[in-house]
Amino acid sequence: MNRVLLIGSPNSGKSSLFNRLTGLNQRVANFPGITVDVASGPISGLPDVELVDFPGTYSLQPISGEEAVAVEFFQRALTDPDVRHVLCVVDATRLEKSLYFTLQVIRECQQRGKAVTVLGNMADVLQSNDLTLDHAGLSEAIGAPVLMISARQGIGIDQLLTHLRQRLITQEPVSSRWSETPDALLRGTAHQLAQEFGPRGDVLVRSQLRLDSFFLNTGLGGIAFFCIMFLLFQSIFTWSAPVMDAVEGVVMATGAALVPLIENQLIADFVADALFGGIGAFLVFVPQIFVLTLIIGILEDSGYLARAALICHRPLKAFGLTGKSFIPMLSGVACAIPAIYAARAVDSPWQRVMTYLAIPLMPCSARLPVYALLIAVFIPNETALFGLVGWQGLALFSIYFFGMFAALVITGIVSRFSKGVRSELPFVLELPPYRLPSVRPILRMAINRSKHFVTKAGKVILAVTVAVWILGYFPNGGADLGSSWLGTLGRWIQPLFEPIGLDWRYGVAILSSFLAREVFVGTLGTIFGIEGAEENMLPLVEQIQASGLPLGSGIALLVFFAIALQCVSTVAILSKEGSLSLALRMLVTYLVAAYLLALLTFSVVEAVL
Amino acid sequence: MNSARQPKTLWALSKGETCAVSGYDDALPEPYRVRLMEFGFHQGEAVTCLLTPGFGAPRVYRVSNTVFSLDSEIAQYVLVAPAEDPNL
Repeated sequence: MNRVLLIGSPNSGKSSLFNRLTGLNQRVANFPGITVDVASGPISGLPDVELVDFPGTYSLQPISGEEAVAVEFFQRALTDPDVRHVLCVVDATRLEKSLYFTLQVIRECQQRGKAVTVLGNMADVLQSNDLTLDHAGLSEAIGAPVLMISARQGIGIDQLLTHLRQRLITQEPVSSRWSETPDALLRGTAHQLAQEFGPRGDVLVRSQLRLDSFFLNTGLGGIAFFCIMFLLFQSIFTWSAPVMDAVEGVVMATGAALVPLIENQLIADFVADALFGGIGAFLVFVPQIFVLTLIIGILEDSGYLARAALICHRPLKAFGLTGKSFIPMLSGVACAIPAIYAARAVDSPWQRVMTYLAIPLMPCSARLPVYALLIAVFIPNETALFGLVGWQGLALFSIYFFGMFAALVITGIVSRFSKGVRSELPFVLELPPYRLPSVRPILRMAINRSKHFVTKAGKVILAVTVAVWILGYFPNGGADLGSSWLGTLGRWIQPLFEPIGLDWRYGVAILSSFLAREVFVGTLGTIFGIEGAEENMLPLVEQIQASGLPLGSGIALLVFFAIALQCVSTVAILSKEGSLSLALRMLVTYLVAAYLLALLTFSVVEAVL
Repeated sequence: MNSARQPKTLWALSKGETCAVSGYDDALPEPYRVRLMEFGFHQGEAVTCLLTPGFGAPRVYRVSNTVFSLDSEIAQYVLVAPAEDPNL
C-alpha cells in the first residue's frame, strides 16, 4: 500500500488535517517505549493510500529524548519504499516559526528521494484578516509545491487530493537542491524567506494580546483560571457520575439477567462477581476518561491550556513539576486513571514521570469512603467555634491536604536527588492564537483514549479481579471470607499489621482493597457480618468502635491509605503509559512508605495518648 | 565597584518594551540556543515583551508573528540591545 507521511510543527493544524483526510478510518499506535501516538488511516478519496500522522515537532534537531525518538521514527519511515510522498503542514499565519523545520524536512526527503508538498494551513484565517502568503513565490524559492488549505473549513482539500493523486501516479524525479545544505544556512534561508513571502501585519497578534491581557492578568486571570478549573473538576467529578452510574447499572443488570440462567453455582458466582465485577470495575472509568480528554482537548485547541501551564509553572517548578502538571494533578483528586492519561500533555519525559509520582497521592474519590468510615469511627461528630468548625470535616480536610502535601514533598525530594540524571526541557512555550476548538479531532482523541484504556488496562484489571475473587471464594465456596485463602493470607500477614494494632480482618480488607480502595469498606462489612456497608456505614462504625480498635490504628490507617498505591487500575495504566518498571517501583515504594509512616503514626499517637 | 556594563537580558525587559536580540550567554547550552533560533530569536530580530504576569511567572514575548512564554531560567541567557543599536 502506498503511504503518505504527514508532518508538521505543533499548533500547525496537522491533526485537523489528518482527521479531515482520513475521516473515521483511523488506528492509533504508540512508539515503542514512549507514549507518542502515531495515527494512520486510508485517505478518503484515495482509499489505496495510507496517511501516517507523526507527532508534532519543532525541529529535526531534537533536544529531548522524546523528540529524538519521533525524529528517528520519521527518518526510518523515509527509508520505507512504500512511502511515496510527504506532506509538511505549516501554519501560514506564522510562517517564520515553521519554515526552518520545513526546509529540514525537504532536505531529509531529498536525501532519500521522497517528494514533498508544503501545505500552508489556516488560509481561512489569513483571508478573514485580509492577509496573504505568496505561496507561488515561496514554492519557487523552496523548489517544492506549496498549497494553501484550511483543514478546519475544508478549503483547498479537493485540490490537495487531486495534486496528491497526480504526484503518486507520475512520480516526478526529486530535486537535490537542499540535500547538502547545513542547518545554519537553512536557518538563515528560512528567516529570509519568511520575511519575503510571509503574511505582513500584526492583526492576529494584537487580537491574541487583548485576550492574553485578560487571561494572564494577575487578578482577573486568576479568577478565570479558578472558574475554568472548577468547571473541569466538576466535569470529571459530578458530570461524569450519572454516566458512570449508568455504565455500572448496565453491567450489573446484564450480569443479573445472565447469572440465573447458569445452573452451576461456581460458574454463576464466577460470572456474577469476578467476570461482571471485573468488567464493571474498569468500564466504570470510561466516562471519566472520555469527559476529561474531551475537556482537555477543548482547552488545548482553544489555546487556553498553554496559558494555564504558564500560570501554574512557577509554583510547581519548585517541586520538580511543570505548569502542565497542574491539570493532571487536579484531575487526580477525582480519579488517578484519567489523570494519568492527562499527563500526556506534559512534554518533558522527566517532568511527566514527576507528574506520575504525584498523581496517585492526590486524594482521589475512591479514598473518600475509607476516610469517611475511619473518621466516623474515631472523630466525634461535634463542632467548635460556635458550630462553624466540625471536627470530622476538619479531619477530612487534613487528610486531603496531607495527600496533596505528600505529593509535592515526594516530587520535590526525587527532583532534588536526581539532578544529575534528569533532562528537563527549558520552559519555552508557544502561546498559540485563541480559536474555537475543532470538535471532530477532539472527539476522535477522546474515543481513542477510552479505547486504549479498555484494551490495555482493562485486561490487567480483569485478571487481578479474577485472581482476588479466586482467593476469596475458595476453598469454602465463598461461604466465609475469614476461612478463604484470602483470609488465610490475611492471617499470614497479620504479624505485619500487629505493630499498627490491626488484626487479620484489617489485613484482609487492605489486601482486597488493592482492587479499588473503597472495597476496604465492603470487605470489613462482610467480615463484621454487615450487609450493604458501602451504602450505610453506621452499623459498621458501631461494630468497629465496639471491637476496641485503638485511635492510633485508625489514624495510622488514614495515613496508610493516603500514601499507598492501593489501586490495580492505577498500577495497570501506569505500566501502560509509563512503564511496568515505573509502576512496580511506585507500587512497592509507596506501599513501604505508607507502612512505615503508618507505623510511626501509631507509635506517636499511642505514646502521646 | 564594577564599572563594566552588564548586557541586558530578555528577562529584564519591561512590559511593552521592544529590543533586538544581540546574542546568547555562553552558559546557555547549544541545543537550547539552536531551538530559540528555530523559534525566530535570531540576532538582530526585534522582540517585544508583551506581558509580565505576577509572582515570577514566565513572561510573554513576541518575536515575528509568534508569541512565546519564557521563564527566567532561559530568558536570562538571551541578550538584548536597543533595537536601533548599529552594532547589531
